Amino acid sequence: MKSNSPLSTSSGRFETVRDRLETVDRPMAVLGVLSTIVALLVVSPMAWLLWQATLIEDPAHAYGLLFSSQTLQVTLNSLTLMVLVTLFSIVLGVPLAVLTVRTDLPYPRFWTVVAALPLVIPSYIGAITFVGMFGSGGEIDSVLGATIPRIDGLSGAIFIITLYTYPYVFLTARAALLSMDSSLVDAARTLNAGPLEAFRRVTFPQIRPGIAAGALLAALYAVSDFGTPAFMGARVFTSTIYWEFRGFAVEYAALLALQLVALVAVVLVIEAGIGRDEDARTTAGSGTTIRLGAWKWPAMGFVSLLGVLTLVVPVAVFTNWLVRSQGEPIPSLEFQWEFALNSVYLALLAALVASLFALPVAYYAARRNTFFSRLLERATYVGFAVPGIVIALALVFLGTRTLPSLYRQGVWLLVFAYVVRFLPQAVGSVRSSVLQLDEKTIEAARTLNAGPLETFRRVTLPLIAPGVVVGAILVFLTTMKELPVTLMLQPVGTETLVIIVWEAQRTLAYRYAAVPALLLIFISGLSMLILLRQEGRGID
Amino acid sequence: MATPDGTDTDRFTTDRRQFLLASSASVAGVVGLAGCTSGGDDDDHGGDDHSHDDDHSHDDDDGSSSVTAVADAQPMASPVGSTAVNWDDLGDLEGEITIYSGRTRDQIDPVFEALEDHYDGLTLNVFYDDNDVYVNQLIQEGDATPADLMYSQDPGALNELNNNGILQPLPEDVIDAVPSSYRHPDGDWTGVTGRVRSIQYNSERWDGDADDLPTDIMEFATDERFQGIISTRPNSGTFRGFIQAMVELEGEEATREWVRAMVEDQDAQLFSGGTSQAVAVNQGGDDDPIVGLGNSYYAARILNEDPDAPIRTAYTVNDAGCLFSVAGVGVMNEVDDPELVAEFIRHLIAEEGQEFMMDANGEYPVVEGIDYVGPLPDLEDIQPPEFDLSNFDMDLQDAQNLLNEEGMTV
Repeated sequence: MKSNSPLSTSSGRFETVRDRLETVDRPMAVLGVLSTIVALLVVSPMAWLLWQATLIEDPAHAYGLLFSSQTLQVTLNSLTLMVLVTLFSIVLGVPLAVLTVRTDLPYPRFWTVVAALPLVIPSYIGAITFVGMFGSGGEIDSVLGATIPRIDGLSGAIFIITLYTYPYVFLTARAALLSMDSSLVDAARTLNAGPLEAFRRVTFPQIRPGIAAGALLAALYAVSDFGTPAFMGARVFTSTIYWEFRGFAVEYAALLALQLVALVAVVLVIEAGIGRDEDARTTAGSGTTIRLGAWKWPAMGFVSLLGVLTLVVPVAVFTNWLVRSQGEPIPSLEFQWEFALNSVYLALLAALVASLFALPVAYYAARRNTFFSRLLERATYVGFAVPGIVIALALVFLGTRTLPSLYRQGVWLLVFAYVVRFLPQAVGSVRSSVLQLDEKTIEAARTLNAGPLETFRRVTLPLIAPGVVVGAILVFLTTMKELPVTLMLQPVGTETLVIIVWEAQRTLAYRYAAVPALLLIFISGLSMLILLRQEGRGID
Repeated sequence: MATPDGTDTDRFTTDRRQFLLASSASVAGVVGLAGCTSGGDDDDHGGDDHSHDDDHSHDDDDGSSSVTAVADAQPMASPVGSTAVNWDDLGDLEGEITIYSGRTRDQIDPVFEALEDHYDGLTLNVFYDDNDVYVNQLIQEGDATPADLMYSQDPGALNELNNNGILQPLPEDVIDAVPSSYRHPDGDWTGVTGRVRSIQYNSERWDGDADDLPTDIMEFATDERFQGIISTRPNSGTFRGFIQAMVELEGEEATREWVRAMVEDQDAQLFSGGTSQAVAVNQGGDDDPIVGLGNSYYAARILNEDPDAPIRTAYTVNDAGCLFSVAGVGVMNEVDDPELVAEFIRHLIAEEGQEFMMDANGEYPVVEGIDYVGPLPDLEDIQPPEFDLSNFDMDLQDAQNLLNEEGMTV
């Protein structure tokens, strides 16, 4: 709790006051109960994994799976993938966040949307189309005879996954920048600190929880992704899980998934050290923006290039087939507006429920820095690290055993599955914005006789709004692209855009993928613009 | 999708039933868990079977249908038999059927579409997902599944469902119409159409023509011409079937040797998807494979989109390399309307059903008396060996482990 930063002296003085306040804080107790319920709900599928693992009949096979040299190799591959994707995501995401928040870049909202949108494209679709466009024998090769170095294996997977994962860091770092008092930077500059030094000593410590929250999401996405490493021919941890799953040896797949959870638990503990930061409390305030001058052109060029690689390439490859294809029609892939409606409806529901679930957990963990509160918060991350098919299978079991008459009737189980998978995306960004909150403000409101709910609504919520909105956007975008869970739990007739893109891709009827892919990007962009408008003004 | 009122009521009673059933099953599950150090799995299935029997007695007062088991569903009109019948000879399909399809839309949409056009009162609720995913999902769902039947890509998946006790036997005329090597011997599931495994190759990059490719699958692992340019996809159901077939014909040791040689000597590229393999063979980049072992329909899809594409298929003769495998259907324990489901399956193996899939998929019919017409090679020339597809010497799990042990995994 103690820190040497100049900012913590003042908050240290308030420590005792706050502690006294909190001992009689009934709302905190309620929050604790709510957080516990949320955490228990989202880890419930893990009980099924444990149970499945007890059904194993061949301990020797299980031992071999867990401890063979092959397992060691895939674990190393997974770790490499995770670490490098995380690092590259930070290298891409943080400068982009600074660029869209702190500089006078023209049309900042537009570039924010462009830089965030790669999150709606399933990375394996990105991989397939990227190779189809730039690879040897691909579109560019057949027209110009020019190819880029072969993109495959572990390095190919790292490259592609980074392109579609960095928005996690971009968006959370961005929210942190928006919430921090940037006049501090000006203060540092007047004290003769250069821009880099000011960033390192003032900005970075402030936004570190935000970066850490996004980096953790990038890491967990990388380690739980199957499609891209599989397409690239990189053997990672999820490969072994899928291998057992495809051999109908679900109990061994469950065992391996538990091993993945154990691995991830270590990452969660490590990150808990980095993301925990008591120094971050300030109120938002605006400082001078950085003038880009002529640098705005290369800056816009760079974001455009990212947009072309991640968004234009997939759509272009599919559209090309719209013109070229001579295939037989497949009636049920024919475009219907319902696909888009279903996608948006499900993604909005998931974003809403995840935000509601995230608030108590994130707030409780940030304000009550106890082992227990942190444990609850960390527990919500587990579902994100386990491959979607495994979570979905657990929910298939739990759903049919608890509410069989409602199973695959209505979207409740599907939305719950999204929340299990994506809740940490909301928890992480809400929590980092709560960490940045100066408690003096809240205590001031309380001393002015505002009740806890009123204080929350009128003071806290507007201040943490950027974090809540970003959390909702993250959940929204990842739900838009979610496939395995959607396929397994959708009610009849709930086709989404991504389902159609996937079906078209796997049957090589690419032309049917063009319109849904384009709409996926367009509608997501539009929805993001609406969500981003909420960011500045709070919910009041 | 709007459902007629009558069906809703039906579904409600069914669901009540499923609820009772499932709660008893989950109790059994918990008991299995509590007392479980080994064999918990068996306990659980025992519980399921019990409640299944109980349920059938309740079924009698359901009222919607006098028949409770699909096997007892007499033909509504003509039976299907070894002489082909037309859809018009069969009873009308009226009601709702929920299908889990491991087959893709391009393969199966045409026949479903045609049936819905043919019968105004028929609604087919079709869910599409990966074949292997559905097997796992159906096993977890147990009798609470909304599916009436599973339309599967390969026999291994149907066997797995059957081994888990969640399929019910088919009517006798259906069983009699399909030769025993294309279905489960007791009629617990049946193949609907067949295909043979093929050799895909890029005709622009392969030196020579189809005749220069070996007709013995074993040579693909030893012939040096294939070093570095051959590929396969080891995680598919039909590839596992292919390995099981090879063990049966050549013995386990020779099979292991073949797999090892493919991995180590030939440096075979391993794909995790049949589509991505065929695309790579067709694409013809410097590092892409020139030859690929896989199902012929992947190549057919590419040629369907682009008739000028260089991908072609060839076949081995009378060995595991040209394994005749089927796509087929299995019926779940609990179905809303057994007579409707039985009559639906009769439509699939009737003449029009078979012809739709011959045309759309390039597949072989499985019913005697319906001849294959189309571009695929004559089965007389390929002479695919016959197997009991439901009972290979080596079971599926062991085939999977064999591949793992010899390093052919993705």
